[in-house]
Amino acid sequence: MSDHRTPLLKVRDLTVTFGKGTRSVSAVAGVSFDVYEGETLGLVGESGCGKSTTGKALMKIVAPTSGSIELNGVDITHQRGRALRHARTHMQMIFQDPISSLNPRRRVRSIVAEPLDAWKTASGAERDRIVNDLLNKVGIDPEVYGNRYARQFSGGQCQRISIARSLAMRPQMLICDEVVSALDVSVQAQILNLLEDLKAEYGLTLLFIAHDLAVVKNISDRVAVMYLGKICEIGPSDTLYETPGHPYTQFLLGAALEADPDSVDAGTVLEGEPPSPHDPPSGCRFRTRCPFATERCAAEEPQLREVAVGHQVACHYPFAAA
Amino acid sequence: MTDRLLVVENLRTTFRTVSGVIPAVGGVSFDLGANETLGIVGESGSGKTVLARTIMGLQPRTNIEVSGSVLLNGQQVVGASERVMREMWATQVAMVFQDPMTSLNPVMRIGRQIDETLRVRLGMDRRAARARAIELLNMVGIPSAEARYRAFPTELSGGMRQRVVIATALACSPKLLIADEPTTGLDVTIQSQILNLLDSLKQQLDMSVILITHDLGVVATRTSRIIVMYAGQIVEMGATRDIFHHHRMRYTRALLDSSPKVANPSHTRLAVIPGRPPNLSTLPPGCHFAPRCAFATEQCHRERPTLQAADSPGHVFACWNPLAASTNEGDSTR
Repeated sequence: MSDHRTPLLKVRDLTVTFGKGTRSVSAVAGVSFDVYEGETLGLVGESGCGKSTTGKALMKIVAPTSGSIELNGVDITHQRGRALRHARTHMQMIFQDPISSLNPRRRVRSIVAEPLDAWKTASGAERDRIVNDLLNKVGIDPEVYGNRYARQFSGGQCQRISIARSLAMRPQMLICDEVVSALDVSVQAQILNLLEDLKAEYGLTLLFIAHDLAVVKNISDRVAVMYLGKICEIGPSDTLYETPGHPYTQFLLGAALEADPDSVDAGTVLEGEPPSPHDPPSGCRFRTRCPFATERCAAEEPQLREVAVGHQVACHYPFAAA
Repeated sequence: MTDRLLVVENLRTTFRTVSGVIPAVGGVSFDLGANETLGIVGESGSGKTVLARTIMGLQPRTNIEVSGSVLLNGQQVVGASERVMREMWATQVAMVFQDPMTSLNPVMRIGRQIDETLRVRLGMDRRAARARAIELLNMVGIPSAEARYRAFPTELSGGMRQRVVIATALACSPKLLIADEPTTGLDVTIQSQILNLLDSLKQQLDMSVILITHDLGVVATRTSRIIVMYAGQIVEMGATRDIFHHHRMRYTRALLDSSPKVANPSHTRLAVIPGRPPNLSTLPPGCHFAPRCAFATEQCHRERPTLQAADSPGHVFACWNPLAASTNEGDSTR
């Protein structure tokens, strides 16, 4: 289905290793995926699985150790300086903590205008018009709030301002790293709907990183599940949630708490905790917690294989699609 | 369930601040039976944590006014001196906080932190306390408890730390355990482990649990009753099934509708509650939720609704323009 479209972002064998020698940690251990134009790819996993590091490596906030990142067919993996800064105008990132993302002593208008000022894309009346337009789009009245300081806003409003700032250069792609996890449910719904609206209006492509499975399903066209630095399953969101192929995905979905008193506890609680990425298990990284693991899982690392159209699973014994 | 473990009556906690008087808890009444799990849900600022801290008698004594009554196992908490409260802490009531790292002393071995309560409260000697601490660590599912007894909190993961905090809270077998967002910040798989642990400990130790959370999923299957709080007041209270399936209050409905659900197909449009929770120092005269409510009438803006009884026993709600009594999850008046 998605194969006919052009990938806007192409990631191949991306690794990020922190530290050297025996003390090194592979936070991202060989991740490949495409993000197609106009789609939302969700990236889920538990803390420490490398999902945020992946997002940061794409923005080159942390340096990728190996692998390649192609944006719009241009390899940005080794770009530096002005070329890199230019690439970043096409790809922007929004972070988890909206309040610390904004300078508390600056006025909203100047925060949102900063990218325009930095690139000298607009000035004077044109600059004001763009800023007003962006603030209106995210639901912040520029007449009332434009001259207030960032510290005067709540978390939800700060996240709206962050989104307005990220859109100033009209990027093609937004990387959203846990953008709603610090917000209350009612505000979370507002921001999720806002992202959907802006995506449609600006024709944006999103990489949506989060740990909340319900949130990720709500916003994503496709979802990738990460475990200990690797993608263990990737596929269209509805298919992946209905017929997960990887045991880890199934446990993760089983652990998600439904707001329904009649929902039966699947009784499949995943025991233990993820092993340390210092010393990942041989073969399949999930085998130490997997009830179905065999000798083969320890000996041979499973690669992502297609189980249905666009649905790939990295498991020697994937669940058959129902 | 004639004997009530906890009876809260018209409890008010008011902060006096430079920017005005803040009624964080504005007249809350409820009770809790033995071996019952009660869920308290609400958004940030709804007063659920202040309520818990007031029941614990943990509020600071300056610039704060507490009125009403909290009877815990027959003992009055409101106005009790710290000396009296110290007797009750750990043996009658204990609390588990959200962030396990700040609940634990980072430079003290975890075993010592559990011992402390046992030795001070129960007067155990060092050896007995140590044995009991290891027993508690085993009970909360910490592998190789004997070795972990000497570990520092930083050597443990978030889930393990929360288990240690639970072990500390349970050291003197309290009758009531208040867990304030015990799984927020933990991963989903660890979250289920901790919630299952609390559930089994409740049965095993015959205690009551108050589970405070903003996440409706956390309370859905693990509580018998739920309180929904908004702006410092109870807006709806009832059996868990009634709250989820036969809620009458508009806010409860809006809260349920605005959370994304795994069961829904992707790109399901979320029902949004416009605006933000109100500023507690300048509350509107009518229903606190009225400014954000799509169904608010003129009366809602003018007059504050009081809790009225719904069809099932124990189910109460505060709303002038409630949902129809038969309302079920599928059907909506929107």
